Amino acid sequence: MKRRAFLKFAGLAALFHRFFVRDLFAAQGPVVAVATNRDHAAATRSAIAALGGMKRFVKKGDVVVVKPNIGWDRSPEQAANTNPTVVKTVVQEALAAGAKKVKVFDRPCNDERRCYVNSGIKAALAGMKNVELKFMEVERYRKVTLNGKALPEWDLYDEALDANVFINVPVAKNHGLTRVTAGLKNVMGVMGRNRGSIHRKIDESLADVNRVLKSHLVVVDATRILTDNGPQGGNLADVKILNKVLASTDIVAIDAYATTLFGLKPEDIAVTVAAHRRGLGEIDLKKVRLMQV
Amino acid sequence: MKKMRMARVSQLLFLFIFFALFVSTEYRGSDTVPAAINSFFRSDPLVLATYLAAARSFTWLLFPALLMLLFTALLGRFFCGWICPLGTILDLVTGRIRKSGPIQLLKGNFKYWLLLPLLFAALFRVNLAGLLDPLAILVRGLTFFLYPLIGDTARQGWVGVYRLIGARRDHIAPAYNLLHDYLLPFRETFYPLAFLSALMLGGIIFLERYERRNWCRNICPLGTLLGLLSRFSIFSRVPATLCDDCAKCKSACPSTFREGVQLKEECLLCLECVDWCRQRKAHFVLEPPRREGRPFLPERRVLIGGALSGFLLAGAFRFRSPEANARMLRPPGVKDEDEFLDKCVRCGECMKVCLKGALYPSVLHGGVGGIFTPMMIPRLGYCEYNCTLCGQVCPTAAIPSLPVEEKRRAVIGKASFDKNVCLPFAKKTNCIVCEEHCPMPKKAIQAETVRTTDLNGKPVELKQPYVVDDLCNGCGICENVCPLEGKAGIEVLAVHDKTPLKVAAGEAQQQEWADPYQ
Ligand code: SF4
Ligand code: SF4
Repeated sequence: MKRRAFLKFAGLAALFHRFFVRDLFAAQGPVVAVATNRDHAAATRSAIAALGGMKRFVKKGDVVVVKPNIGWDRSPEQAANTNPTVVKTVVQEALAAGAKKVKVFDRPCNDERRCYVNSGIKAALAGMKNVELKFMEVERYRKVTLNGKALPEWDLYDEALDANVFINVPVAKNHGLTRVTAGLKNVMGVMGRNRGSIHRKIDESLADVNRVLKSHLVVVDATRILTDNGPQGGNLADVKILNKVLASTDIVAIDAYATTLFGLKPEDIAVTVAAHRRGLGEIDLKKVRLMQV
Repeated sequence: MKKMRMARVSQLLFLFIFFALFVSTEYRGSDTVPAAINSFFRSDPLVLATYLAAARSFTWLLFPALLMLLFTALLGRFFCGWICPLGTILDLVTGRIRKSGPIQLLKGNFKYWLLLPLLFAALFRVNLAGLLDPLAILVRGLTFFLYPLIGDTARQGWVGVYRLIGARRDHIAPAYNLLHDYLLPFRETFYPLAFLSALMLGGIIFLERYERRNWCRNICPLGTLLGLLSRFSIFSRVPATLCDDCAKCKSACPSTFREGVQLKEECLLCLECVDWCRQRKAHFVLEPPRREGRPFLPERRVLIGGALSGFLLAGAFRFRSPEANARMLRPPGVKDEDEFLDKCVRCGECMKVCLKGALYPSVLHGGVGGIFTPMMIPRLGYCEYNCTLCGQVCPTAAIPSLPVEEKRRAVIGKASFDKNVCLPFAKKTNCIVCEEHCPMPKKAIQAETVRTTDLNGKPVELKQPYVVDDLCNGCGICENVCPLEGKAGIEVLAVHDKTPLKVAAGEAQQQEWADPYQ
């Protein structure tokens, strides 16, 4: 909703400020901000700032869902889950932009209590006002018609669907089946039921879900990336420290860029290719404006 | 109001402690549970006696039980009257149950006929004490039946509220969360043998219809064992017999006066008689044990019969079906099946604490003798890579308490694919969810990429998985997450050789890293 309102506003503004708007959005295609900083909070903040700041996405009184990857019972340095500092900073930014409430959750693959604790995210968010780090509850999945290529319908999480703003905060890492995962795959965390079964047609399935549950903002944690034995790793020899945080509104573009951090081409990743083909964003990095900050 | 007796105060206190420990036998955000959690079992002389007999070794874990033995020999069955939570529960409910008079069958030497075969069977290496241990019966009744039921009811109610008012439920969520965080089980696991566990506990309460503390007087093997010891006690009631003019204390006593004599092995030291004695004659004194001029055991034939039936019992339970045995997966760290059976109390603590609901009481997988012992059923839950809780709560170290690095390498079984159902083989579609979940840093499940044609004749590129035995610890997550319905495409099977996995080079290095993000 908010995003549409913004675009409307942008469109109106275009009449008056043609140059400005064309500059920022039209001519150069989608923007991917790439912030490099050993201070991961600062990196996160500048990546978001480069896109125009959190106020562009979050309006006063909004309920915001921040969806990190808290999938595994691994510690932060093992790069299987989103960096707690990045998560915390995104949450802080959302609050500062006026969010009424920020909800943080994921549907982990390991025991959820252990994942929330050992990912460091529970500790990072402890004591923050108007922030809920919650476990997902079975009854809150809602059957949603996707009319997709692979999935006619699926159960998605109501709090994610009902949020005013959905911020997707994955970690970029290796994955056995899809090779690299970032934003597109991270939405699997709001899928109910036997989601393992979508692995059969994972590329189209993920496109189906992402088409319905739009990420208003994607912040990719590449402070350290898992280069092998993903998605859960466990071996620090597979972890590479990059100190990068990416941000974009284009989930395909940001995933495409994240792929290059692994020395791969965006076209190598079937999930990204499918999402691009389905019109979810730009895969050709030549058409993407990279803002290094 | 009648003033509360000391014994009752102590009973209530211990009952409270018991429930508090029970509720905290759960992962609540820390990798370790308080060491006190299994203290009831570790102070249980029946557990100690059968452990000594069956395992023929001692463990310091059971030191409290040794102390309990000592104090019982000095003072008498104070455990039954002052501590035992099952006894307390009976005392609390018995007032509401009308009595119809003792069951004759249970009188006489019935309890010795239970205790002695139990002890002798242990000597012949079949440790069944946990089946009839009162603490184990209580914990199992709660763990397998009552607690999940309470949890599920609360949960259903909470779900009902959601169906009714939807997201507005969030307003009262903090209250529910408080309950859920501190009192209710995190997830309600349903167990096989829940009914039997409930029946045993219920049966004991039902017996109160016939006389007070029926179980404690006539059946309980722990009480009987304590009774045997308390014959040496130096704490005795005077007068030992009932007074001729008044027998008020007899009706107040939850135990037995046999032919007007209060026998030490029956007295629970509840001191009710002292309270009830109008003439203030009854009291307890310290004095050397009286010579009662009767044999230590009621009859020699009970002893011989006990030994014999123990021996037969031990033999009768040896059958194990190989098919079922292949799926008999013991908790991590358990290496030898026989040794495990010698030591396991069947208390259910490990199953209660298992945070992924991986452990269930065995019904017949390990043979009749293994009933109620824990086994992992991977399709229902898996052993969490970094969790060490079951070893921490096991009162006898039947499941060894391992540091997490060792537990990760402890072998539960080995996984193998069933290519008749596994998707990439049987249906020629991609999947490898199992590989994704395998927690081994080097992946015990690996996949080779093959080019083939799918069922429609179209060329496809498939990842076909296989298991590397040297890396697999049989944690079962692969079998657990396999998206197939019912039977999984990969299964963990029991193995004889449970030599721990080798330390991988990468893992050793791991511990030297400081965490840069804390
Ligand atoms: S079986 Fe595994 S997950 Fe369950 S309590 Fe034991 S160590 Fe923990
Ligand atoms: S293995 Fe489980 S049931 Fe057996 S004694 Fe240990 S904790 Fe109790």
